Amino acid sequence: MATYAEMREMFDEIRADFRYDHELNGCLNCGICTATCPSAQFYDYSPREIVQLLWTENVEQIYDAMQEKIWACAQCMTCAARCPFKNSPGGLVMIMREVSIRHGMQSAKDVLRPFGRVMLKLITTGNQLSPDMIQPDHFPDWGPNIQKVEGDLRILRKAIPVRTLQTVETAWEVSLKTSVEMYTIWEMTGVLKSLETMDENLFDVIEDFIDEKREDYEDWLESQNDKD
Amino acid sequence: MSDNSTQQGVAGHGAFFQDTNLSANEAEAATAWVRSHVDRRTMDLGERMDDIRDHMWELEKEGEIIVHRLTDQHKPVEVDTLYGWKKRIPTNQFWHHKSCGQCGNIPGYPTSILWFMNKFGMDYLDETDQTSCTAWNYHGSGIGNVESLAAVFLRNFHQAYVSGKQHGFENGHFYPLVHCGTSFGNYKEIRKYLIESAELREKVKKILGKLGRLVDGKIVIPEEVVHYSEWLHVMRNRIASELQVMDMSNIRVTVHAACHYYKMVQEDAVYDNTVLGGNRTAVGTSVAQALGAQVIDYSTWYDCCGFGFRHIISEREFTRSFTMNRKIKVAREEANADVMVGIDTGCITTMDKNQWIGKAHDMNYSIPIVADVQLAALACGADPFKIVQLQWHASPCEDLVEKMGISWDKAKADFQDYLKQVEQGNVEYLYNPELATNQNINMKAGA
Repeated sequence: MATYAEMREMFDEIRADFRYDHELNGCLNCGICTATCPSAQFYDYSPREIVQLLWTENVEQIYDAMQEKIWACAQCMTCAARCPFKNSPGGLVMIMREVSIRHGMQSAKDVLRPFGRVMLKLITTGNQLSPDMIQPDHFPDWGPNIQKVEGDLRILRKAIPVRTLQTVETAWEVSLKTSVEMYTIWEMTGVLKSLETMDENLFDVIEDFIDEKREDYEDWLESQNDKD
Repeated sequence: MSDNSTQQGVAGHGAFFQDTNLSANEAEAATAWVRSHVDRRTMDLGERMDDIRDHMWELEKEGEIIVHRLTDQHKPVEVDTLYGWKKRIPTNQFWHHKSCGQCGNIPGYPTSILWFMNKFGMDYLDETDQTSCTAWNYHGSGIGNVESLAAVFLRNFHQAYVSGKQHGFENGHFYPLVHCGTSFGNYKEIRKYLIESAELREKVKKILGKLGRLVDGKIVIPEEVVHYSEWLHVMRNRIASELQVMDMSNIRVTVHAACHYYKMVQEDAVYDNTVLGGNRTAVGTSVAQALGAQVIDYSTWYDCCGFGFRHIISEREFTRSFTMNRKIKVAREEANADVMVGIDTGCITTMDKNQWIGKAHDMNYSIPIVADVQLAALACGADPFKIVQLQWHASPCEDLVEKMGISWDKAKADFQDYLKQVEQGNVEYLYNPELATNQNINMKAGA
């Protein structure tokens, strides 16, 4: 359990985000956001409550909401589109999620554990989703009819008449130079640091992968220089 | 509501929630203002809201940024947005900004787009120097931030800008066409932040500088962020008059517009008075309408699909319950639709893949799920497998294809024969494959 001072620090961080004043303009408790919210139908979550807690600077309850509630939001932004005050509860939730990650909250670690595979793919390749991630074995609840033509995945992908899409491990072929540029973005924007805070093992795997790809790229550059 | 549930409170409303016990008529009267707000355009906000593009032009004038401009070569068509503002949609010289969810999971989406562009003789570039927008991850996990999203946006759009010069044209020759709704919403939001915040611009300039992704020391921002369904919207009448070969008049269509298309940076979404009275975003619906299909309205049109970014991966009970209850069941029971048409990656995946599991709760509803561009391609005679790539869909697309008068079994048998050819290395392409990874302009080989 965090101390009041720590909770206050987190709230101040939320409030200091430059988007905060865009996303929070006032609230009459009309509840249109919650009435329209898909997550409110299934979870103990209310965008109205999030807005009210922030609006009234209820530091302890804000911290409490950051344990679980903020992760229920589906990020559809229906609340934002409907709010008469042009608040964006979904946008505020994103700020709160970022802060919970920066502070390494255990609840965030628990919630994000199943997301590791996606993270690994995205950070290392610059592509979030790939054909080999969505095979029938991984999604039994999608039913037996998940694909209408059986066959080897590589051949089925080869039958897509677009060269860049004939891939299995990435959604499309991403050039090595592009991936290496992405690594710089992840580093310079603190994304790798967030990842380290959330999941040290995953971070180690990703760091090794990045080192390897950077070496590959350096080798390729040298080979180009040799040609010249 | 039972006494028991009242005592425990209702999810999202807190423990002190109490039922109002209003009659149906009273409840309708009490919430009428909500419906009018949702169903109608709220013009008043348009008058009070700044058009971010005005500030963009000012920044360009001050020498702060470069704007990737639409020129006559892009053959732009003007459309109306939510508040009646004008938006220009290019119809030539595209840099395809692909979608990871589409390419990985629904490849018939991008292939149908390229197929149409070949039919119309439009130039485009499909290259490997691009990444996902990373917004799916951001909205799902919270790992990422405005700076990283902005740097990815500017890196991809810088490449779109300079790709022309790399192929013997001027900078800006190819204009980015964003395939994904999540990317579209994210890029528009980030563009807004970049224009509003000098601090953010300074931060990302350092990153882009290190990557060699500045032009004359400046970041490049597109005049318009354009979604493929907007391009399809402005092409709809040409598609119907020049290419359509199938009669669609007996096809009942419901449309699910993607939340991140029209609920984020709402003022930029396209509306048209001839489409559902101008009360809903026009894209998607306008194409079905132009093809002569029966567009059926339904009560939960405004709801999201249940994708949830993180939820579809790790909270699947939510995703499948929501999509089944609020989309699939309604489209079948209320609208008796033959197809639900989507305009985005996550929605198509969610609605397409989460129907079978409904049987676990005796919810035996199913409906074909395709994108607007896939439906249009089918109506124009594209091969259901080679081009529209329906083999990747889990929903009963065969029912739709058969109702349109196309033999599913024959098309499938032809495709299975084609797969044997593919195994032998005889692959057909929409553009010269040797040029794709060499980052050259497509040469239309035809499929």
